[in-house]
Amino acid sequence: MLLKHDIEFTLNGVKRQVSVDVTTNTLAMLRDVIGLTGTKYGCGEGECGACTIQVDGVSLNSCLMFAVDCDGRDVTTIEGLANDSKADALREAFVEHGAVQCGFCTPGMIMQADHLLHKHPHADADSVKRGIEGNLCRCTGYKKIVDAIVAVDGAVK
Amino acid sequence: MTEPKHYFAPTSLDQAVECLKDGDVTILAGGTDLTPQSQSGKLRIKQTLMNIRRVPELTGITLEGDEIRIGALTTITEIMENALVKQHFPVLVEACDHFASDQIRNVATLGGNICNASPAGDTLIPLLVLDASVELASMPEATLYRHSMPLSTFFVGPGKTRRSLCELVTGVRIRVPGPNHIAHFHKLGTRPALDISTISIGIAGTLKEGILSNVRVAFGAVAPTPVRASQTEKALEGQRLDAVTIGKVAGIARDEVKPIDDVRATAWYRKEMIHNITKRMLSHVAQA
Amino acid sequence: MSVAEKKPRVIEPDSLIGKRIPKMDAPEKASGRTRYIHDINLSGQLYGRILRSARIHALIKSIDTSAARALPGVHVVITAADIPDQRPIGVARDHFPLKVGRVRSQRDEIAAVAAESEEIAEAALKLIRVVYEDLPVISDPEEAIKPGAALIHPEPHGADGTHLHLKQGTSIAHKGKPDNIAMTFDYVHGDVIQGEAESDVVIEDTFRLHYVTHCCMGVSGMIAEFDASGNLLMYSNTQVPFLHKREFAEYLNMDPARIRIIQPPIGGGFGSKLDIYPFEVICLYLARAAKRPVKMLFTREEEFLASPTRQPVLLTLRSGCKKDGTLTFRQVHTLHDNGAYTSWGATTPFVMMQTFSSLYRVPHCDYHTAAVYTNNPYAGSFRGYGNLQATFAIEQHMDMLAERIGMDSLAFRLKNAQDSGETTGQGMVFKSCGFKDCINTAAQRSDYTRKFKENEVNRSRPGNIRRGIGMASMLHVGGGAKIYPSDGCGTILKMDDFANVTLITGASEIGQGSETVLSQLVCEELGLPISAITVVNNDTAITPWDVGVHASRTTFIAGNSAIGAAKKAKTKILAVAAKKYECAESDLDLRGGFVIKASSGEVVVELSKLLRNLHFQDKAELVMTTFYYEPPSVHQDKGFKGDVSAAYAWGAQVVEVEVDTDTGRVRMTKVTGAHDVGRVLNRLGIEGQIEGGVVMGQGYALTEELLIENGVMKNPNFRDYKLVTAPEIPEMDISFIESMDGEGPQGAKGVGEAPAICVAAATANAICNATGVRMFELPFTPEKVYRALHGQTPKLYWKPWRADQ
Repeated sequence: MLLKHDIEFTLNGVKRQVSVDVTTNTLAMLRDVIGLTGTKYGCGEGECGACTIQVDGVSLNSCLMFAVDCDGRDVTTIEGLANDSKADALREAFVEHGAVQCGFCTPGMIMQADHLLHKHPHADADSVKRGIEGNLCRCTGYKKIVDAIVAVDGAVK
Repeated sequence: MTEPKHYFAPTSLDQAVECLKDGDVTILAGGTDLTPQSQSGKLRIKQTLMNIRRVPELTGITLEGDEIRIGALTTITEIMENALVKQHFPVLVEACDHFASDQIRNVATLGGNICNASPAGDTLIPLLVLDASVELASMPEATLYRHSMPLSTFFVGPGKTRRSLCELVTGVRIRVPGPNHIAHFHKLGTRPALDISTISIGIAGTLKEGILSNVRVAFGAVAPTPVRASQTEKALEGQRLDAVTIGKVAGIARDEVKPIDDVRATAWYRKEMIHNITKRMLSHVAQA
Repeated sequence: MSVAEKKPRVIEPDSLIGKRIPKMDAPEKASGRTRYIHDINLSGQLYGRILRSARIHALIKSIDTSAARALPGVHVVITAADIPDQRPIGVARDHFPLKVGRVRSQRDEIAAVAAESEEIAEAALKLIRVVYEDLPVISDPEEAIKPGAALIHPEPHGADGTHLHLKQGTSIAHKGKPDNIAMTFDYVHGDVIQGEAESDVVIEDTFRLHYVTHCCMGVSGMIAEFDASGNLLMYSNTQVPFLHKREFAEYLNMDPARIRIIQPPIGGGFGSKLDIYPFEVICLYLARAAKRPVKMLFTREEEFLASPTRQPVLLTLRSGCKKDGTLTFRQVHTLHDNGAYTSWGATTPFVMMQTFSSLYRVPHCDYHTAAVYTNNPYAGSFRGYGNLQATFAIEQHMDMLAERIGMDSLAFRLKNAQDSGETTGQGMVFKSCGFKDCINTAAQRSDYTRKFKENEVNRSRPGNIRRGIGMASMLHVGGGAKIYPSDGCGTILKMDDFANVTLITGASEIGQGSETVLSQLVCEELGLPISAITVVNNDTAITPWDVGVHASRTTFIAGNSAIGAAKKAKTKILAVAAKKYECAESDLDLRGGFVIKASSGEVVVELSKLLRNLHFQDKAELVMTTFYYEPPSVHQDKGFKGDVSAAYAWGAQVVEVEVDTDTGRVRMTKVTGAHDVGRVLNRLGIEGQIEGGVVMGQGYALTEELLIENGVMKNPNFRDYKLVTAPEIPEMDISFIESMDGEGPQGAKGVGEAPAICVAAATANAICNATGVRMFELPFTPEKVYRALHGQTPKLYWKPWRADQ
């Protein structure tokens, strides 16, 4: 029998309680226990960034975070960001600049870009490239993703 | 299937080290190594999974006398952005900049990088050349016992350290360097980050009137642990960095390391790179 | 509106073609709302997992599944013994989904479980006991092809050593193969002996191309469910649903009409989903046995281990030219590592020989391939389909020949490049051809000639950074490829009472943006904004037939099909309007959602109003049309000759690099590309295709390699299989040559595969320009380049092998 542990945390602005296997990672909790599937599994090893979420204001790979460690913390996923009007500019930039093709890396890419822009609102192309170096994309060649993030300058606080 | 029987998230150092007493405990800090290792079955989680993230004594970067203490839970991002570290240990910032990715830097802890004891661990090389020591805490009886040991003696093999099962790494201490101190780091990989070093090199010392002394040289990814290069250090100690010396020292460095072939590079290439990069770094020091 | 202003409303001409139109599904994807196959769960669903071989090459002596079957939560455990009617899959029908008696590679499927959860399924796999008897591993195709080499597919034996005499079929899987040769190709035009005799310079080199894989960000998966009447519903990531429907029916021995495939949005394709893989058939077996929906998803490690690869090739090219720069001949021998089973990778010579025979004017060409069974991973189709490998050799030889005759490499290329109207030795007819424009544009925009000379001079300067510039060109099908009996695509188009269009197309969307381009083409015909269209493209029960996403064909074939349906709708609308407003059809047009006077743009009637009038009258009618487009290409004859595509795409790319001679590290600084795309339909989309393809080519050239040692994959993870990351991408300057193809939709040609094709070849030329050292083996990792710079790379040599010799 797997050891369960009850945790309480804020998910996308809403407090909630969940009982999770102690060895489960946050990605699996979000997708399989809670049912939010915007956060993607790409590798399970922190090498692709598809599962990027924000916890207490910093971006991280949810596949590398024990779900129990969400206890008491503030978790934001792409679904939460989708309700965030400040992030509208970022999403719109991704759409308008052609930064989305198959779209599988996109939620993680946007979560990371949002974190990057909160920290460095005026990031230039080179710092954006470094900022998303942990997010793999196989379709776009990154250029349009970088263009989109740079274009948000000033629109997101 | 190996599953822990207990989960414990202590909120004080006393609680944490007390929990460690029975020894059958897996410690969770940032989780960036533990999660994939446990899920792939490479690492078995023990009877108790202890999450130390809520232990306040393990956080913070403080100046204590002539030493800077970096708490074990300090994330790589926090180290990079800390004013004290930037001022005194730019070499550590440089290494952190090449560490994995932003998402991992935001979570991975210094204590975790040390305890994971990877031969290619990015922070370990600068810490070695900065003469860092590791702080450990345990509770052999009813009270907290702390001691420290030089990082250079801490590693015994890939993933293996001198930390006993009852001990917790609480932080590292680094003496604030004196005037004329130089320290450099180079990570050779194929990309800026999200990469495991093919080799890495740290060089530090006191450079006064062209003479290098108190030399510290460390290499990553050329041995089962990150290593100090005693012969290279000896050859550099007290020397003026002219072209002949640099050439000679680079040769000694190449001969001193005993790397292996793996998926990232052959031993031959690693030795060549130890030579070429040592030479390049020393030339850079000489010209600066 | 005041009386004075009562002028007729005029709609100005506008066009959607060539605009930057955002991808229609991008807002959903950017919000995390898109449901990929991973995100779909059906009630009552079980989870399937596969037990793979623990050995590379071995006989299976016994399999004990009793403990796994007894585990609570396990519904079904199957091995080959449980599926007596298994039929072989793959291009050569040499491959049982569940292995019978023998495993031949690391990923081989031995058993499968369907259970209540993934964890239980995984635990059950660990309880399956398999006894193996190891066999020698053959991982080198040069060994595998030697006479007397151990066979990968001998006649099947049972566990006791007796012949299995599988009676159901005559395939390789049933009867075995008396040698390790999976497939051979022999092509000739002209006479290479004569070509060589006419040559002033002849060179010969051997090139080694490596294993790479697709690395779709979404791992493979499917969900299968049989309904109470035995009909099969599959949620699948296939790129070719209509072909697969028929194939699955064969494997299940059921009527194809009872199979329905729904394609959820897909996390990347790039050719990887063109063949049926064992996991898909196994998932169907599990669902059939469990009578419950079964979902099967790969882990990333499994994705590496059990996905197809690009085919590794050993290639010897002999080419010649005259002193004046005229190419005389090409003679090619290739050895393909087929891996343990045959998928589309074995058939890449179809494309490779086109490049050898027809990229530049080649009067004499002789091409031979043997694809050889080994115990390595097997190769499938991958964007470019053999063309990266062929171009790598040809374009290096173009530089080398030019150097040998002392001719400028740009002038040498231009001298041999074709013009429109030419027919090649292989029978390809270049109706539109912007080849020379591509070469000239890429060269001029990159300042190729000046930099090339400057870099050569700078080689002798001190310092460890050497700059280099290199060029390569490509030719690829751009108007479909007539491989199957039909290369067509069907469209159903309907308009509602509000002048919204539903476009039901056979074309699949795999992230490339086909839905947006098809919408543009339809809206352009019907004078509607892009917001007035809905695309349905993912359900074989609804959509008309299409051969699938491959060969860079969707824009061209599905585009022409969509235009055909839209034109029929337009004709019908204009006829109705002409009658109602008592004018000639030719006096009217559709624009901005209105029927207008063609001459002035004056509004005649709102289109939606006209459609409602049509609908709600005594003789009520709706506007619904269908169209099936079959391109005017032809099948190749037995000698592989014929005009197999309705159009051909051209391109030239110039790559600039910095080589660090201390470390061998190559940094790609800039790629200047010029691509003949016929016409730009969606500028945003086509830029994205080219940029993505260039960076995929960069990975092929510099960083990506599946390391296989004795059949074992050493790096099935993103840590050591290095995809290019954002900071590594080069500056990209992309130009489009619009040759306005006469057959193409609005003049466009296919471009999906083109951008990845010449990057590696141009990079090799750039490294040579920087250092004077030629690289014959991919990828150009720091160590490989460093070794080459230090003379530590023995020259590749391979004695060409031919089945007929």
